[in-house]
Amino acid sequence: MLLSISGTFCSFSQDCDLRISGHVEDADTKEKLYAATVLLKELNKEITTNENGDFVFTLLCPGEYTLYISHISCDPVEQKIRLDRNRHQDIFLDHARKTLGAVVVEAQKGIPNTGFKQELAGKMLDESKGQSLAQALSKLNGVSMLQTGSTVSKPVIHGLHSNRILTINNGVRQEGQQWGNEHAPEIDPFIADKLTVIKGVDELKYGSDAIAGVILVNPKPLRHTAGYYGELNTGYFSNDRQYYASLLFEQQLKKISAFSYRMQGTFKKAANISTPDYRLNNTALQEANFSLTAGWKKRDYDIEAFYSQFNTQIGIFSGAHVGNLTDLRYAISAARPNDIYLGEDTYKTGRPYQDVTHRLFKIKSNIVSGFGKFHIQVAAQHNRRQEYDIVRDAERKGAQMRLAVLTLSEDISWDHPSTGNLNGTVGISAMQQDNSYGGRYFIPAYTSSVMGGYWIEKWAKHKWEIQGGIRYDYKNINTTRYPYNSDPLSYSFNYSTVGASFNTIYKIKDQFKINAGVTMATRAPYVNELLSDGIHQGTGFYETGFIDRNTISIPEVKPEQSFNVMAGMSFGNKASTFSAEVTLYNNMINHFIYLQPSPGDTMVTVAGTFLQAKWKQTDARLTGVDLALNYRLSKQITLASRTSLLRAYNRTLDDWQIGMPADRTTPEITYDFNDKGIFSKTYISVEAPVVFKQTRVPDERKHGVQDYKAPPAGYVLMNLNASTTIRIGKTIPITIGLSARNLLNKSYREYMNSFRYFTDEMGRNIGIRLKVPLEKTS
Amino acid sequence: MKMNLFSGTAVIAGFISLAVVSCKKESAKPEDNDNEVITTVELHFTEQGTSNVKTFKWEDLDGDGGNAPVIEEITLTPDKVYDVHIKLLDKTKTPVEDVTEEVEEESQDHRFYFIPTAGSNITIDNLDNDDNDIPLGLTSTWTTAAAATGSVNVVLRHYPNGGKAEGDPVNSSKSSSDVDVTFNTKLQ
Repeated sequence: MLLSISGTFCSFSQDCDLRISGHVEDADTKEKLYAATVLLKELNKEITTNENGDFVFTLLCPGEYTLYISHISCDPVEQKIRLDRNRHQDIFLDHARKTLGAVVVEAQKGIPNTGFKQELAGKMLDESKGQSLAQALSKLNGVSMLQTGSTVSKPVIHGLHSNRILTINNGVRQEGQQWGNEHAPEIDPFIADKLTVIKGVDELKYGSDAIAGVILVNPKPLRHTAGYYGELNTGYFSNDRQYYASLLFEQQLKKISAFSYRMQGTFKKAANISTPDYRLNNTALQEANFSLTAGWKKRDYDIEAFYSQFNTQIGIFSGAHVGNLTDLRYAISAARPNDIYLGEDTYKTGRPYQDVTHRLFKIKSNIVSGFGKFHIQVAAQHNRRQEYDIVRDAERKGAQMRLAVLTLSEDISWDHPSTGNLNGTVGISAMQQDNSYGGRYFIPAYTSSVMGGYWIEKWAKHKWEIQGGIRYDYKNINTTRYPYNSDPLSYSFNYSTVGASFNTIYKIKDQFKINAGVTMATRAPYVNELLSDGIHQGTGFYETGFIDRNTISIPEVKPEQSFNVMAGMSFGNKASTFSAEVTLYNNMINHFIYLQPSPGDTMVTVAGTFLQAKWKQTDARLTGVDLALNYRLSKQITLASRTSLLRAYNRTLDDWQIGMPADRTTPEITYDFNDKGIFSKTYISVEAPVVFKQTRVPDERKHGVQDYKAPPAGYVLMNLNASTTIRIGKTIPITIGLSARNLLNKSYREYMNSFRYFTDEMGRNIGIRLKVPLEKTS
Repeated sequence: MKMNLFSGTAVIAGFISLAVVSCKKESAKPEDNDNEVITTVELHFTEQGTSNVKTFKWEDLDGDGGNAPVIEEITLTPDKVYDVHIKLLDKTKTPVEDVTEEVEEESQDHRFYFIPTAGSNITIDNLDNDDNDIPLGLTSTWTTAAAATGSVNVVLRHYPNGGKAEGDPVNSSKSSSDVDVTFNTKLQ
């Protein structure tokens, strides 16, 4: 009503082409607030901010206006504006701090977790579009990658990976086949509008076993203003002719104001990748994913259902799929792979390849009452992994290793009402799991159940913040193996694990705070560590767990226990031209479980002799530092750097720990162009990752040769990123991005890539990407 | 407010019952493999000009790992010529599967190598050829000299990407080992 009146009024008066643009930030953390609601009261026009916290109202007439800005985790703010020319208004919101639990689980935005946290969102996330989850995360300081060729990658946080990282996929703890080095997380990064790595107190909500930390893959909350939003992300990469397209559509119907839904899907296809000197056969991949979300939101409660499916088929470079020790040594000693494995430029994958499907269904509900907030979530996940080996008979179509795991999980938590400065959450969770296998044995069939409970409290007053929490989990595992020509073998295990964390934050002044904490995490051994028994193709190792078929007395395998002391400081100057962030950590891990190649120990099989690698326990110490610097030299030029150093020591063997990422630093220079005409947010940046040679590897004079090949030399790369946003018809901001990885086409090998034995890394890769958002508020 | 708490409780109860119902499942599938597992390598010797047949085998019934393989010693008579054929078996299956057939069907992608040690006094030649006239080795001729002990390495190379050529050495990186076993030998 109001809208139509003022609209009519305006059209009669002067030129109505003015605009109010603005930027919404968290007053404390300076975090850009995404999905904040901005209401223009006089016109009853409501919009939400984009991922940069920006909003804009156009075609306004001169006059007095009132902006009402609200955000899910903040207190709302009202601001009067007198409009006689185009205005830009920055808005700072204070955290409401009403309940802390809302942070991750419900709001999934603007986490007032002031502890140890790193985020990938906005521009940085855009730059990683089309890449895998691990590749995207490796842009964060302290996060690197463990790779099997260029197509399989998994994140490494402070030197630790796989089951030591909990990946939380839209609020649900991901339970796939995460144990193998060539088992990448089964998650579509396009689901997320933010990737977060957290350590410390908030870990305890997800498990007592997050020794390396927790990765949150969070979609944005469902739309809660009437209208629709659509987004297309598409792109192309030159090296492997990869193309991808991801579509998102979400809507909230005006008639049913409580109901909101979202549909999202991604398709990706890539041909064989090329190193600077040769193309690697059978390194193509294909991925097809989708997700559906539907929500019902009222003032006192909301309920949301989510289904997602992830499907991928990844070729494994055939030249690395070698057999026994003799073959492996021969392949490794060659300077380049045999020509028979090189040169095909095709999207086709042949054997060996892996085919993985992950399905997730969950329902969650939040209820607000006088007794605080209740959160309930149930989830079912099914993961199917099939590995297709090279077979003698081309007629065979089936997979040689098949694994399927079904996981059900239930979580209930309660945020008690805020009492002054104290907020807290109490939760219980349960999980039931059933794994089956077929074909080549590697891990047994098992059923497993976990029951756990936690309690977290956070206290904040003036310049101080104190957080603490504790968690207990009880895990039961029953395994069965069905060997050839003999009776089934069964084992049972029970583990009690405790996690606890304590963190203190002191804010010296605005933008200058220090942070210190200690976290204890305990991780029960995983079935592959206990009972693996077989050949991991391509590694040349015959891997045996703590218990093999000949074990008579079962050894006691203790849970891995880590005591991680962390200290951090973040500083920013008043003018916001300089910022520094430093994190120091010392992670003492007792009973650290790792795969120890045992030189001289061999396993005779029909296909020849294999080196044995056995799962072992040791006491380890991981000490490191992450440093990020940012300096805005002028309005246009920004210098930045990210540095990450790690010392990983095997205290039992008094030697360096094998398989740890080398020191690395990445300087970066960005040039921001002034907005001009239809072009805005235009920038070009060049970064030069410097990775040092890993010299801290086990000393062969102490405990024999443990690696086939010495670590590769260090390397320096050059990467480029550029982007601009073009406004078409004043409303649709189309973002075009250009990227170049390994711009100088340098041949190099990376210590953390198991294919370093056989091939160079990917050569120059030029990418172009496009993002088209489409929004309508009604 | 009461309504909310009530519905919340109902939802929780529903979730829990759902979870309890759906976690009743047992998995019990024996190991089966779509690729034949080779448990047994048999060498069948027929002394030329006679009908004397001897068989020696390398066998690992429980597959890789577990119990060590049982390897028979090849005992032959000095100064004789033997016709030999090789058999690969998968004894994890009932009835036992003959894997030799697979090798025969894809003979262009397979090749046996027989490598006696220098002091074993055994010469192995006359390997049969595949369809492209490149050695295959399902059959061969073994010639013994004076009494001696030694060993013979029997290797089956697989060329999944093709490219098998006459001059390929046993450790050609075009191929990988499907079988790589060693028999001790005694001529007496």
